[in-house]
Amino acid sequence: MRGFGSTLGLYQPGSGFLYRTPLSVKAIVSLACAVVVVTWRSPATSAVALVLSVGALLIGAHRTFVRVLRMLLPAAPVLVILALYQGLSQGWLQAFAVVGGITACLLAARAVTLTTPLQDLLDGAAQLARPFRVVGAHPERFALALSIMLRSIPYLAGLFVDVRDAARARGLDRNPRVAVTPLVVGAVAYAHRTGEALAARGLGDDAADDAADDAADDASDRSDPHAD
Amino acid sequence: MIEFDGASVRTDDGRTLLHPLTLSLSERRISVIGANGSGKSTLLRLVNGLLVPSAGSVAVFGRDTRTEGHAVRRSVGFVFTDPLSQLVMPTGREDVELSLRSRKLTAADRRRQGEAVLRRFGVDHLADRSIYDLSGGERQILALAVVLAVEPRVLVADEPTTLLDLRNDARVRSLIGGLDQQVVFTTHNLDFALESDRTLVIDDGRIVFDGPPPEAVARYREIAAAGIGGT
Repeated sequence: MRGFGSTLGLYQPGSGFLYRTPLSVKAIVSLACAVVVVTWRSPATSAVALVLSVGALLIGAHRTFVRVLRMLLPAAPVLVILALYQGLSQGWLQAFAVVGGITACLLAARAVTLTTPLQDLLDGAAQLARPFRVVGAHPERFALALSIMLRSIPYLAGLFVDVRDAARARGLDRNPRVAVTPLVVGAVAYAHRTGEALAARGLGDDAADDAADDAADDASDRSDPHAD
Repeated sequence: MIEFDGASVRTDDGRTLLHPLTLSLSERRISVIGANGSGKSTLLRLVNGLLVPSAGSVAVFGRDTRTEGHAVRRSVGFVFTDPLSQLVMPTGREDVELSLRSRKLTAADRRRQGEAVLRRFGVDHLADRSIYDLSGGERQILALAVVLAVEPRVLVADEPTTLLDLRNDARVRSLIGGLDQQVVFTTHNLDFALESDRTLVIDDGRIVFDGPPPEAVARYREIAAAGIGGT
């Protein structure tokens, strides 16, 4: 498997005010970006949102413009298709409003995951799910599932490239079944291995989840979980 | 203390992976050797409760793996052959902290303890690197660190050195040799088996030898030679 963990991965250590900003603030701003872009859809709104999200990554996370553009590479095919469709059917200004807005939201979300350690995201997700304990939900299990889902994206992207290369090496790259079948099998095998690894470590067990949930309760009572 | 009481494993289609086995394991270092598909990994998975016996029982420090699986898994750490199967977070630091989430710790305490664990195993400088950017040896040591972070009483390792080069093989062996925990491991490296206190030889789902490592290795060589002669 290739090193997609580093190129598409989540948290990357660095400096800048975004690294010092509490997760709750970053999450609210990211959510607000999505609400504003969807509610007041216009080229001007998308332009402002784009400038703010790119600016936040450049200044707040000390990323270069090229690295910011690279963050969009995984979504680029979908964005291009959407832009073409919107441009041809609704006009290019409308295409900019839609695709620019989506791009701004993606970058705002990326700013959160890029500058927040995964364990802090887990803590945040668990805290968010805490009210659902009254109906028998396990916040810690919810957070674990979320983190495993996020972790799986770069893995599956890497698996896709490996499978495509293997098909190319055998001269079978024009056959979609040859590319898709091993990808599905690989994804299922990965899910199985991950489940087994979690079970072997006792993660996701009721008892472990209860302990972690209690720990989260205690921690939130005692201190700010984002404090170092 | 690990106790097998008539424990056997059969698949749904009736194949026997492990014939009824009754023994107690109390030594500090126990190795399990045998050919591929002989039942070594099946035996290890019984100890951690990843697999429950089809008949009989397995108990670790008196706790039955069938009825008290959660408690058994808290006291038995399991290391897989491929560390990429073990590490479920993008970086070592996050994976160690994931292990520590089952403890009653604040985020700051978890971070401090995670840092201490990584330092103890000499991989703190790799803490924030993607697990995909690490060498096989670094990954395996990291996998050991994430399992040992919660201080299990028993460590079970399924061929922990199989994917490693000679230098990393020696590093992992030395690390395992220095642990306070009871360790049960499978291996194809007969030198590694010789470093244990007791060796089980498995062939076709049966323990065919149980005793001192030098004699066990000699017995395994006989079985392997007979297998070659028979084909």
